[in-house]
Amino acid sequence: MIAIGTPSALGAGEIARAAWARWGRVISARRSGAAPVDRGDQVMVSGAMSTASQGSDALFNPTEEHRLLRDMVAEFARREVDPQAAASDVKGALNLELFRRLGDLGLLGVTIPEQDGGAGLDAVAAVIIHHELSKYDPGFCLAYLAHSMLFVNNFYHCASAEQRARYLPRTISGEWVAGMGMTEPGAGTDVLAMTTTATRDGGSFVLNGTKTYITNGCEGYCFLVYAKVDGKITAFVVDRECAGFSTSNHIDKLGMRGSTMSELIFEDCRVPAANLLGAEGSGLAHMMRNLEIERLTLAAMSVGIADRCLELMVRHAEERRAFQQPINRFGQIQRYIGEAYAMTEAAKCLTYNVARDVGPAQRNRIGSDAAKLFAAPVGKTVADYAMQVMGGAGYCREYPVERLWRDAKLLEIGGGTIEAHQKNITKDLTRAAAR
Amino acid sequence: MKILVTLKRIPNPDEPLKFTVGGLDYSSHKWVPNAFDEYAVEAALRLAEKVGAPDRLAEVIVLSICPQGQRQHLIQFLGMGADRAIVVDADEDALDTGTVAKAIAAVYKREGCDLLIAGKLSQDNEGNQIAQRVAGILGAPQACFAATVEWDRGQRALIVSREVDDGVEVKRIPLPAVVSVDLRIVLPTSVQNGATPANHAYKEGARLASLRGITLAKKKPFQVLSLGDLGLGGPANERAVAVKAPPARKAGQIVGSVDDLFDKLTKEAKVL
Ligand SMILES: Cc1cc2nc3c(=O)[nH]c(=O)nc-3n(C[C@H](O)[C@H](O)[C@H](O)COP(=O)(O)OP(=O)(O)OC[C@H]3O[C@@H](n4cnc5c(N)ncnc54)[C@H](O)[C@@H]3O)c2cc1C
Repeated sequence: MIAIGTPSALGAGEIARAAWARWGRVISARRSGAAPVDRGDQVMVSGAMSTASQGSDALFNPTEEHRLLRDMVAEFARREVDPQAAASDVKGALNLELFRRLGDLGLLGVTIPEQDGGAGLDAVAAVIIHHELSKYDPGFCLAYLAHSMLFVNNFYHCASAEQRARYLPRTISGEWVAGMGMTEPGAGTDVLAMTTTATRDGGSFVLNGTKTYITNGCEGYCFLVYAKVDGKITAFVVDRECAGFSTSNHIDKLGMRGSTMSELIFEDCRVPAANLLGAEGSGLAHMMRNLEIERLTLAAMSVGIADRCLELMVRHAEERRAFQQPINRFGQIQRYIGEAYAMTEAAKCLTYNVARDVGPAQRNRIGSDAAKLFAAPVGKTVADYAMQVMGGAGYCREYPVERLWRDAKLLEIGGGTIEAHQKNITKDLTRAAAR
Repeated sequence: MKILVTLKRIPNPDEPLKFTVGGLDYSSHKWVPNAFDEYAVEAALRLAEKVGAPDRLAEVIVLSICPQGQRQHLIQFLGMGADRAIVVDADEDALDTGTVAKAIAAVYKREGCDLLIAGKLSQDNEGNQIAQRVAGILGAPQACFAATVEWDRGQRALIVSREVDDGVEVKRIPLPAVVSVDLRIVLPTSVQNGATPANHAYKEGARLASLRGITLAKKKPFQVLSLGDLGLGGPANERAVAVKAPPARKAGQIVGSVDDLFDKLTKEAKVL
């Protein structure tokens, strides 16, 4: 909604043209008398994509701040994230300069209270940011998630005042990139089987072990790391300065290529005792609490992918002609569009509804697992439908659909596989039923 | 230095228009800020700030004439960095341009402003009258369609360049003054205030409101005035009688060959 004439690095001529392209349309529509086209029962892209009614607006943008946040992130995503997405995907690299813009805009500390330098907003706000960024570059959004949800949010809730003072200002500004290490080569879903250990030695802890698939591993300066002290999971903050800490080469991957991942390697790594987060053995509680907002925001990423793919397929199906008519006149194409829309709306509603009940003061594992279990396959399916509707164009690099299709798969794996969500939900429901 | 910036909310220009009998139906439209007004705020903020330092060289006051329930756009501009907002509580669609201009001039005087920055026109009705009329009422010098602005703080003057058909006209006007801005005012170095380094390149376009700005916006002063407070409220001099859709264009024809085209251009259209 914000500026008209703001294409990247263009001259005044381009600015003017962009502006005219946008509002010249309206004016020429008036002058040429192209009265609003009667589109009958066809999908009007902008109308259908936006939150059509006041009721749903209350779910998606519960306050004025949420709405302004969404407008701001959506505009940032269109202006600055979209233009670099394809190139970052090809390179398989995090765009650090753009990442720091997230800091300028105040997005890296969205859930941190204002007195500690954050924006003091809730899980709904976090969902809004992931939703809007993922429309244009889910890979970049994953780096944002690893930094601001897996590190900043998690760290905040288990750190002391001194630890906050040392790590928050520079992670909220984006000067330091951060991440979180839970997964190990021998322990993914079965996270309690982790073998990284920490042993106290005078004024420090000595860590040994390896974490893998760690988002932001290549660029990260500090990481929230889980290791076992006397067999009990304990959280630490480890930074590049710690002797005996290193990271592996970049681990290449299918999608989400706008972010990087690597191993975190601890070889007699000395971490000052001041970097112990919370009490020894309290790590599992921190981990479980933070997995909720992680899964919720991953679900929001899927919703963003689905929203964008739907928009692209609707437009293409109207523009592309075959057998003398737009392909959206064919029933089989309508089935893809109709089902994609219904699925996307359902995933969006579930995710935003659960977001209202995720926060530091309450546990909602079942909600966040359900949101991700439902939304992840929706993102993947809608991306697949979009590719099918677009045919060869969908499969080729010229359009973003093939990238979104590759990105979408991660959401069935990262932050817990869909099988893990099924397992957790069954456990939680069974436990509740037995009460 | 006090800079007053006028802001209008308009029905989203990206949505199709709905014609009713004799008018337009905006009831289902989303209201958005007029883009040229966003550029005006950006220009004011660039004049007022010293990049890289906390210093503020001017206070930026945003002013909008708008009814209750349609004031969200002001929060966005406070989020971008304007210092405070003034609302004149009226539906400006129901006011004539003369009254709108008088209301703006009255606020300008009441606040003792040194500069009014307005967008060159409003995208909905393309009036292009406000800045000029306000300058007239105030008896202040004006520079319209500014593409660049340079603030000569020592001499309390503005050097404004305007892109006209045959080139660029450069004007020097003393403050207090009225300026209306064109699109180019948001190019990276269009605004110079002598404090921010002259080679500092801004990002093109109006800045985004940061999240911190958005959360702070609610705490900034927000004053609501009535037309009566400004000594206005007499009958309007003009009113819109009707808005009609222009006649529909006839459908085009698809011709099979260049020969057919040539034939039609000569015989039917008679243009060759
Ligand atoms: C792009 C990407 C980024 C990542 N970023 C991070 C990060 O920043 N930090 C971090 O710590 N981790 C990260 N991960 C790791 C991620 O969390 C794990 O990949 C995930 O938890 C699954 O673990 P795994 O890969 O070891 O699979 P496994 O646990 O080996 O699972 C293999 C298969 O077995 C199934 N399975 C396992 N146990 C059960 C069971 N009990 N019942 C039924 N089925 C079962 C799984 O569902 C899956 O289908 C990332 C992964 C990827 C791909």
